[in-house]
Amino acid sequence: MAGALTPEELDGDRLDRSRRVGWIDVDAVRSKRCLVVGAGALGNEVVKNLLLSGFGSVTIVDMDRVALTNLNRCMFFTSEDAELKRSKALVLSERARHLNPDASVFAFDSRIESIPAGVLREHDLVFGCLDNVGARLHLNAHAYHLRIPFIDGGTLGTRGKVQVVVPPDSPCLQCATNRTHAKVLEKRFSCSGNDVSYFQPRFAAEITTTSIIAALQVREGLKLASGHEDDCIAHILYYDGLRNAYETVEVSRDPECPVHA
Amino acid sequence: MTVRVRVRNAETGSSVDMELEEENTVQEIIEGAAGYWEKDAGAYVIRKGKKLLRGQQSVLESGLTNSDELELIPDPEGG
Repeated sequence: MAGALTPEELDGDRLDRSRRVGWIDVDAVRSKRCLVVGAGALGNEVVKNLLLSGFGSVTIVDMDRVALTNLNRCMFFTSEDAELKRSKALVLSERARHLNPDASVFAFDSRIESIPAGVLREHDLVFGCLDNVGARLHLNAHAYHLRIPFIDGGTLGTRGKVQVVVPPDSPCLQCATNRTHAKVLEKRFSCSGNDVSYFQPRFAAEITTTSIIAALQVREGLKLASGHEDDCIAHILYYDGLRNAYETVEVSRDPECPVHA
Repeated sequence: MTVRVRVRNAETGSSVDMELEEENTVQEIIEGAAGYWEKDAGAYVIRKGKKLLRGQQSVLESGLTNSDELELIPDPEGG
């Protein structure tokens, strides 16, 4: 019978189940170029979710090397990567690209502060998967300046947060900081004469919280890509895994925030 | 004028009452509460209901009044 659909045709679209969600605009999602900054635990999960969700282009930035202590929560890293001190960004890009052969995956083995100036502006969405306040605020300021939505995630043990920043109207990460953030920054980089000492805190971290926060980040990305900005988190979602609690809190724009000047 | 608020520790559920002057800032409340509970060095924020209070704002500017209940939340920094 001419024109009849076959089961093979029905099952031939890898994103068929995503299309059935209704509000997800699969074609718009495919057209978006995502920048993922940080290729650690959140970065592993975010990149996995982006590629499985059908985002067409993912760029990964991280200057760090794989360590054995990453292996309780990084699905793409192995103990051999840790022994050989391989680049997190390069390993993640190599291992994750098979999840969606139609997508382009790029990597920069570099600090976010050192990538070429034009790289950021080539992206439609920025995902913060970082482990420090300084790099977050740097990325926040640059993404805001370029009017690129920024979806930041953070974890601490079984707690986590997701903040969605959509320029030019929403408050930004800087608006929500206070002196305790500045003290963390001071502690991380302490200078004495010619010396700069770098303090790397060892945060509690485990995979179930990482998975949840990364999933929330990518779902917010799907909303933004699909034209559902009004349904995004406004403005920060705090998650407490021990108590199974999600709380969304509003942040007001700081009139003295340098990012909005 | 003095304002008396209750600050709840989101990690443990315990509370402490704080007596504040109108010119005290939110970051002073954060540092005072974090110090009281001998919190690890790290970033913290404070919320009143559904609103995050900005650190630089004073008690007066934040609209805090007697018997307000605040919550001290660790701001997760790890990735």
